Amino acid sequence: MMNKNIVAFSSKMKMADMISAEPELILVLEHLDIRLGFGEDTVEDICDRYGLSPELFLCVCNIFTYGELIPNPDNLDISDIKGIIRYLRACHSFYIDDYFPELHGNIHKMMELCDKVSEKTLNKFFDDYENEIRKHFDYEENTVFPYVENLLEGKAGGRYNIKSFAKHHGNIEEKLNDFKNIIMKYLPESASSPVRFRVLEDVYKIEDDLTAHTIIEDKLLVPLVSAIEEGIYCKDRQHGGSDKKEGK
Amino acid sequence: MNSKKYNILIIEPSYIVAYGLSSLLEKSGESVAVGIINDMASYDNRKYVDADIIILNPSVLCELGTGVSTIPDSSGKPAIIAVYYGPYNERISKEYDICISIFDSPQTVSKKIKAALESSKNKRTEEKDRNELSEREKQILVAVAKGKTNKEIAYDFNISIFTVITHRKNISHKLGINSIAGLTVYAIMNKLIDPAEF
Repeated sequence: MMNKNIVAFSSKMKMADMISAEPELILVLEHLDIRLGFGEDTVEDICDRYGLSPELFLCVCNIFTYGELIPNPDNLDISDIKGIIRYLRACHSFYIDDYFPELHGNIHKMMELCDKVSEKTLNKFFDDYENEIRKHFDYEENTVFPYVENLLEGKAGGRYNIKSFAKHHGNIEEKLNDFKNIIMKYLPESASSPVRFRVLEDVYKIEDDLTAHTIIEDKLLVPLVSAIEEGIYCKDRQHGGSDKKEGK
Repeated sequence: MNSKKYNILIIEPSYIVAYGLSSLLEKSGESVAVGIINDMASYDNRKYVDADIIILNPSVLCELGTGVSTIPDSSGKPAIIAVYYGPYNERISKEYDICISIFDSPQTVSKKIKAALESSKNKRTEEKDRNELSEREKQILVAVAKGKTNKEIAYDFNISIFTVITHRKNISHKLGINSIAGLTVYAIMNKLIDPAEF
């Protein structure tokens, strides 16, 4: 990190300048369905157009670029929670609908000429990994997000609380790291070299993306939701609702 | 080309001190900083295999509550030098090959670096090829891939569980593979096990 020049992102910056400074951010645009062709528009203009909070957008961009170094949830408030969930949901569907099917296809192509045993072993490893990720996503979609949305509407959330979510990240990263090393170091010679490069690049890309995903959950979502939980628990007796009104 | 320069990795939380040290080393013409990082979390010995010397601020280890012995070796077993801002802590400084103070003159620093290299050379000799799995490690890997627990492996090989754990750590470190599923893939692809056994 020390050798990297730190660019202070600002909402007054032109979107195009920001992307040329940090091309990894293309993935953020992709996740948020922001289309290219932004001309001279600033980050603020574009966030406005897509109904995003610029603070949240910049926060996500910072996490993508600098990792845990600069997530600064102080700029965010409870009204950003919906935006965070929107981002996380978009990531999930990106993985499920685009990324995994494509990677599966590539793994298949890469191993086509290898012995059946190696092919089957690698496929199984990746299938297991994918299942684990899907389970994690399902848990978020079916348990965590509805819980948070209920909280935002002022409904108390039963016995669940957001802290138990943070424990759920488990060994997803470990498996991906193993997969990466296997692709890079240990496949049989007969694996297709061009496709192998593609797969490796894709795995690196997803690795950073998933790391950012985890940071967004642990360092942005969890603290904000905890704040509401605490708010609700103290205010329960007086108002019986959250301290910030949500549109609808 | 005349004499070889020593490669130095600096692990120091202060940018000012780290870059100061680095430019001092460069000026001396005897060594060169191959990396500057500011905490142990960023240290990965596989990235700094060329480091002959690590100069580190003991506070980065204190933060973790650990000592020098927990620093993973790079393949060449670097000499380890502590850099102090203030008085030395006698007990802690014993763990290092040598200590330098930020008030040492450039000459003293370069003298001390040479002394540290000398003292670490002795330690270095027994290091062999650390990258290939040993026969024993291969056997253990196969057992792990077959789903045996540490306890079962210890029993089968007549070694302690602690030894099994050490072997497993070394295997994972060498291969860069940590999960059992990943180790199994490795074992099958390298024909260490017969897939028919599954």
